[in-house]
Amino acid sequence: MAQPLGLEAMASCFQGLIPAALFTCAKDGTPNAAFLSHVDYVDATHVALSFQFFNKSKRNIAENPQALVRLIDPDTSQGWRLKLHYVRSETEGPVFERMALRIEAIASYSGLKGIFRLLAADIYEVLSVETVADEPPLACLAPTSAAGSARQTQLEADRRGNPVFTMEALQDLSTRIHRADSLERLLDSILEGLEASFGFEHSMILVPTIEEGTFVTIASRGYPEMGVGAEARLGEGIIGMVAEARKPIRISGLIRQMLYALAVQKRAQEQGIVASQRIPLPGLPQPDSQLGVPLLVRGELVGVLCIESTHPYRFHEEDKVSIELLGSYLAIAIQNMQLQERSAADAAVEASGEAPRKSTQAAPPPKPRGKAAAPKGGRELAYYLGEECILVDGEYLIRSLPAKILWLLLRRRTAEGRAEFTNRELRLDKSLNLPEWKDNLETRLLLLRRRLDQKCPDIRIIPRGRGRFALELACDVALVERP
Amino acid sequence: MIDKELAAFLEEGIAIQIGTRNARLEPNGARVVAVRVVDAGTRIVAFMPERAAKVVTADLEDNGQATLVFARPPDERSCQVKGVFEGMAGAHRDDERFVRDQWQRWLERLTTIGLPLPTLQGWDVWPCLAVRVRVTALFNQTPGPNAGVVL
Repeated sequence: MAQPLGLEAMASCFQGLIPAALFTCAKDGTPNAAFLSHVDYVDATHVALSFQFFNKSKRNIAENPQALVRLIDPDTSQGWRLKLHYVRSETEGPVFERMALRIEAIASYSGLKGIFRLLAADIYEVLSVETVADEPPLACLAPTSAAGSARQTQLEADRRGNPVFTMEALQDLSTRIHRADSLERLLDSILEGLEASFGFEHSMILVPTIEEGTFVTIASRGYPEMGVGAEARLGEGIIGMVAEARKPIRISGLIRQMLYALAVQKRAQEQGIVASQRIPLPGLPQPDSQLGVPLLVRGELVGVLCIESTHPYRFHEEDKVSIELLGSYLAIAIQNMQLQERSAADAAVEASGEAPRKSTQAAPPPKPRGKAAAPKGGRELAYYLGEECILVDGEYLIRSLPAKILWLLLRRRTAEGRAEFTNRELRLDKSLNLPEWKDNLETRLLLLRRRLDQKCPDIRIIPRGRGRFALELACDVALVERP
Repeated sequence: MIDKELAAFLEEGIAIQIGTRNARLEPNGARVVAVRVVDAGTRIVAFMPERAAKVVTADLEDNGQATLVFARPPDERSCQVKGVFEGMAGAHRDDERFVRDQWQRWLERLTTIGLPLPTLQGWDVWPCLAVRVRVTALFNQTPGPNAGVVL
């Protein structure tokens, strides 16, 4: 039955969860049918189809611009028919970028970067929208299982138009952020708030490292392993793509899209096209939707927020503006706290004028926590000069600037018998080669502290007030330098 | 001609759509719930719920052009069968079990891409019309560099 255009109300059809079918017709009258990975909503009267491979559908459209798309609403099961008329192909602009970023993120997970890519976003005018009589909506889903019941609850919430980014939720998150008195508390408060206020249970924040194009996880929530120290590279996976494009990326129905990309990969390999290395998923082993948000302040990338869900389409297109605003707000909060910690640290040390204390004045050694207790003979920490990384008892601990900092602290502790240090002395140490402006030292120390907590809790960095900290050892430590 | 391996794939319980067009070359399409490969692979009988068949009947009777597209998640193997419409009749009662079983296998397959089993269970399956199509060409349509190659 033909209906007034109501594409906005069909949002769940455009999430790519169930393959759509595209029908075209050649000039000689031969019909063609193909399954599509995604139909994208453009506006109230237009949709976009991804053009990734030259194929018969594309050739037909060039000859005859009429098309029909059949879609299925994954929530209600209602089948839809959209009569389309081809308008243009876009190779730039917001619609193209949104589709291209999503496809490239999936491509890099599948080792297909550069092969599985968007050539154009084909824009079609929607001439009519019809329901399909033989594909009616389910009146209600029988909650025959826990999963069915959970799905029904979710669908009911969606049908009620239950928005995620409400003013109340944003206010709650804001209150949590304002309560935070340190970078560590701030990062944890953000992730706690995302869960408590928005229901996002799996999230992580990555910050740029001193190496250009590399990002490291500084805080995470909702994963079995803490994941601090995990890295992502510019242009790889959702995090790297967000960092590169400096735009949010939302992926729904990730499982199906990954399977689609893997099918392409298999055919490419059969043809001798060499795939690049697959990039592991950042957190959950099988997320079904991901959202990456750049944390930008006046064009500077402070970090990337990545949220995952096992729900196939947790993140909606209409949330885009709220997500971008949230990203800006979080970025400002993080950058302010970084600057505040730096200036407070310097001021505190200058005001006290105290020299760092010797190890004899340090607090009692901490009791090892967690599973990773030190072996009886103590720990061996090996610093690899070439790689600038530290291994603890043969296992990777940390690399780059945080590794250099830890090595410096350990050597000083051994040589001078000191247990306490100041941020300022690290800043002044030329061997670390910190940039004069925005060195993000406090962030590096936080990363180092969390990484030690996670991997060898008998070596700890304990804050001792603004700009001071102690390096505490609850085990014997042997330091080894290797080329 | 459809060989045994391809026939087994087509009858496996996968996504099937039929494409047609009218005199103005406007494309059209509808759902097929099951197929049977017959006459030594030279013909396909497409089983369509009556209300689905109604959508394409006029086109088929007008010009006889038909195409059937098949796709199987999760490996996305896909192919297209071009053909010519030869006739249509109410499906025989003996075909009901065959049709329902094939459709049920498709529903079960949907769970591999994360869709719960009940998602499409309210859709029309039976009674069906049996649409007979003579095969004229076969194309690989699995996404990737070989998509569009003649089988």
